[in-house]
Amino acid sequence: MQKQRTWLYLLFWIAISFLTLFPIYWLFVISVKPAVELFSTPSIILDSVYWQNYVDVFNDSTLRGYMMNSLIISTGNAVLVTSLGFLACYALTRFDLGGKESIFFWTITNRMAPPAVFLLPLFLLMTQVYKFGDFTLLDSKIGMILVYCTFNLPFAIWTLRPTVDGIPKELDEAAFVDGASAWTVISEIIFPLARPGLAVTLILTWVFAWNEYLLAATLTNFNARTLTTGLSEYVTTTGTEWGIMATISVFTLIPALIIFSMVQKHIVAGLTFGAVKG
Amino acid sequence: MKLMHKLGASAIILSLMTGSAFAQDLQIDNPEWWQQAGQQFEGVTLQGVTESTPPSNFVADVLAPKFEELTGISVQVETTSWDQMYDKAIKDMEAGTGIYDMIYIEQDIIYAYLARNFLVDITAALNEKGDLKAPTYSEDNFTSFADNFRGEGGNLFGVPMEAFIKIYLYRTDLFEDADIQAAFKEKTGKDLKPATNHEDYAEIAQFFTEYGTENDMDLWGTTAQAHTGHPASWYEYFESVAPTYGVYNWGIDADNNYAATVESGGTMNSDEAKAAMKWWLSMRDIAPPESVQSTWTEVATTFAAGRAAQGLVYGENAAWIASDESKSKVVGNVGVALPPMEEGVMQAAESGEGYIGYYDGGAFGLPVTSKNKDASLLFLQFMALPEVQEEWAVAAPRITLTSTYDAAKVKELDDELGGYYTMLRDDGKLFKGAPPYPFHAQLREATAPIFYSILTGEIGPDEGLDQMAQKTEEELTALGYRQ
Amino acid sequence: MHSNRLGWLLLAPTLVILFFFGVVPFFYVLWLSFHQWNPFAANPDIVFNGADNFRALVFDAGFLASLGVTLAFVFFAVVSELIIGYALAQAFMKDFPGKAIFRTIHTLPLIMAPIIVGSIWKLMTTPSIGIIPSLLDSWFGFDLNIGTSAVAAFTVTVIMDIWHWTPLVTLTLIAALVSLPSDPFEQAQIDGANKRQIFWHITLPMIMPAVLATVFIRLMDALRTVDEVLMLTGGGPGSATRYLGVHIFKEVFPRTNYGYGSAISIIVLYLTIVACWLLYVSLIAPRNKKG
Repeated sequence: MQKQRTWLYLLFWIAISFLTLFPIYWLFVISVKPAVELFSTPSIILDSVYWQNYVDVFNDSTLRGYMMNSLIISTGNAVLVTSLGFLACYALTRFDLGGKESIFFWTITNRMAPPAVFLLPLFLLMTQVYKFGDFTLLDSKIGMILVYCTFNLPFAIWTLRPTVDGIPKELDEAAFVDGASAWTVISEIIFPLARPGLAVTLILTWVFAWNEYLLAATLTNFNARTLTTGLSEYVTTTGTEWGIMATISVFTLIPALIIFSMVQKHIVAGLTFGAVKG
Repeated sequence: MKLMHKLGASAIILSLMTGSAFAQDLQIDNPEWWQQAGQQFEGVTLQGVTESTPPSNFVADVLAPKFEELTGISVQVETTSWDQMYDKAIKDMEAGTGIYDMIYIEQDIIYAYLARNFLVDITAALNEKGDLKAPTYSEDNFTSFADNFRGEGGNLFGVPMEAFIKIYLYRTDLFEDADIQAAFKEKTGKDLKPATNHEDYAEIAQFFTEYGTENDMDLWGTTAQAHTGHPASWYEYFESVAPTYGVYNWGIDADNNYAATVESGGTMNSDEAKAAMKWWLSMRDIAPPESVQSTWTEVATTFAAGRAAQGLVYGENAAWIASDESKSKVVGNVGVALPPMEEGVMQAAESGEGYIGYYDGGAFGLPVTSKNKDASLLFLQFMALPEVQEEWAVAAPRITLTSTYDAAKVKELDDELGGYYTMLRDDGKLFKGAPPYPFHAQLREATAPIFYSILTGEIGPDEGLDQMAQKTEEELTALGYRQ
Repeated sequence: MHSNRLGWLLLAPTLVILFFFGVVPFFYVLWLSFHQWNPFAANPDIVFNGADNFRALVFDAGFLASLGVTLAFVFFAVVSELIIGYALAQAFMKDFPGKAIFRTIHTLPLIMAPIIVGSIWKLMTTPSIGIIPSLLDSWFGFDLNIGTSAVAAFTVTVIMDIWHWTPLVTLTLIAALVSLPSDPFEQAQIDGANKRQIFWHITLPMIMPAVLATVFIRLMDALRTVDEVLMLTGGGPGSATRYLGVHIFKEVFPRTNYGYGSAISIIVLYLTIVACWLLYVSLIAPRNKKG
């Protein structure tokens, strides 16, 4: 009985995984075919492999620079918004702040803005208002980290709030009675218990930053260009370099996979958390 | 970011051309002059933005490092997609930020920039600053395409760096096959040769599409740049098809208060325009099925994959289709011809009253907001030196100086391309750039939704063109151009 | 319990960042929405025109059509993602061999940029040369043509969105499910509740805040979708997939219609806020107050 169910589960997941993986498999197929081969009756099986795209991408140090920028910006942003979101959620769930529900709702409205129009004021602000001497936020990694807060910080607050709210308030009250400081309570009591939620938030905000295109395309020029903007260099009037694009995409999967597997451990850790609590 | 590092990326593009050109291969006359001219700009970094295309990549990867080596002025060129390039250049110039010292100006946008006084008058600036004028630079070197970038009074506002015509490509292996010729003769009673009018073209297209079906081949009789959600289709109709029916400048009469409808004196919904639309749609119907999702890029790849016997293809793509084995299956089998047209159109084109197709291209210009205008003037001249043109034309098939046609490597390439360069030189005057409208993109976008509806069949072609002409007049009134 | 000053202090960095990068740009756009501004009009200046933009919007057939298809797109995509995402999250609660691998596989679509996703789906669905129409044709004789059929293009954009974003729903719901206490469930089983009762009366109410937060996020992200659809269909065929994000993009980028584009954005933002606010006050806020 038990064994049969295991098999059913496996079958189910293999089917789901096939559907999930197929477009990614196709991405790989595109990356190992010369462009002209893409314009023919397609076949599901790869009959020959063309590695030139990989050689070209691997040897391209500009793309390595873009990847570095992407890593710095998305990691910086994910860590920043997860930390600030965590603190904000602690404030929202533990304190009786006037109008806090309105503030909470207002944060998410920042994510609702259709980006195309908002690029214009952001461009003006980052070149002409938010500047320090000669340093402007435009085309800087710190500028992008801050801009990405507009959509990631609300996300972090909204996904973290149920987690922080779910941690029994008696725990921190007891600690305060024992004379612990606010910092100790947050870092030693709340933080460990919120880990699964924090991990999920970190992953997802990282992904949103990693994948963002429109803001990066407009607000970076030379120094902070990200991988997604690099991709758009291959969509040209003389040909979309599908093969190169696909190859870069395959490369972008690697750091993302590493980050994912690092953080996923903590989600798994969360599984035991639920059990312990019960 | 050192741009020399971008050589890796450019190798992708360069390696597929006959000879790879690198900065050290370029021989510049009067290196001392450049060195001396650069001295006063020590520490200056020029920044430019352009679309990522082979000609632009050559600027970023080869010309910029060479220029830096000579003058000590470093040049950073941002290469990006077309719509980003356009948006970033406008934002920078509109806000007066001064990020860019050079911007790419597509031929169709120059009139918008000129109307806003975004650009420095290069002719005047060089006349004023004689010490910055390079010995081998001269405006007389340019082909007539440079006229597209002249403002009132004939002064130059952009240094041309790429130029192409949209031509009729056909498969010589199919057209010269004795069996196919016989079959065609039997079916139509005519000899199989590149069409000169729409009727013949349609007959050939019909023949090859049927031939493909009968022989179970992936072969169709024509290409069609007929994307149902991308302006590429709009362009193919207005810039390549309508003119061959005698409908010019998008059917708008600029001298007559920008009239578009027949009632007010325009031709956008004229009988000729409607005939052109129906002919083009009938071609679309027998083109490869992917055509409804095709922009210029996909049309070129469709042809390169050997799926079309003939078609209208942008010249910038003709080169790699004809010569690059890593991207094309029809290398050595490509013939070029002038597009098919109605009677009287050729005479109109020769007399200068009309044109038979689209002359496309771009230039580099100097924004008035630039903070390094003088250094930028040096680089703009550097791009137009006769010495750098040969390698550039080989790396990216574009010609902007008359002398380049005679360069040895270019002649060699011309043979490979089935005489494309010869056609560009001799018949280039029959083609024309986009009409001089400062509202180019605005009007296109305003009318495009109706145009796409014609393509999907939601609206009939006659009614659709009536609506588009109507919408054009409304939009131009709203923008303040039509009174 | 203790001073609210600490609470405000913890909240301050968030408020400051969102003020400078969210509120200030918002007021600029709001200001612009009451002006006529196209830098390539005969008059390139910014001219105050009162509520003209908003008046025009009410009769703008293009905008209303875009609003309609957007709502349909958001509805089908988000509802499907929620159902599939919940089912998968529940399935991950069980133990079975290879679970970690399957979970990693399932999250893969998330790490692909929308612009890449759009490109792959375009190459997979282009008529005649894409693998999907080709297989559908040879297996079922079905002609899938996203270049001519509005229904086909719409369906493909929805499926693409489901493929891309269901993992987000799964992940957030896993996080919610793992932190559920187990005693109510044990109690319910002792009391003899069946699975459906447990779901409706225990699981769902307890994970409701997380579900709603996820729905909100998906809702507002789906409403602003640009890159994927632009890459896949360009908004076509005709205007079949010209969703609001795409519509605004085309209005603002190529058409440089900054004033009118701002007005559309403000209206879209307003409608999104109202819809979310209604959901919020009726479903989430009462719970938060309780806590």
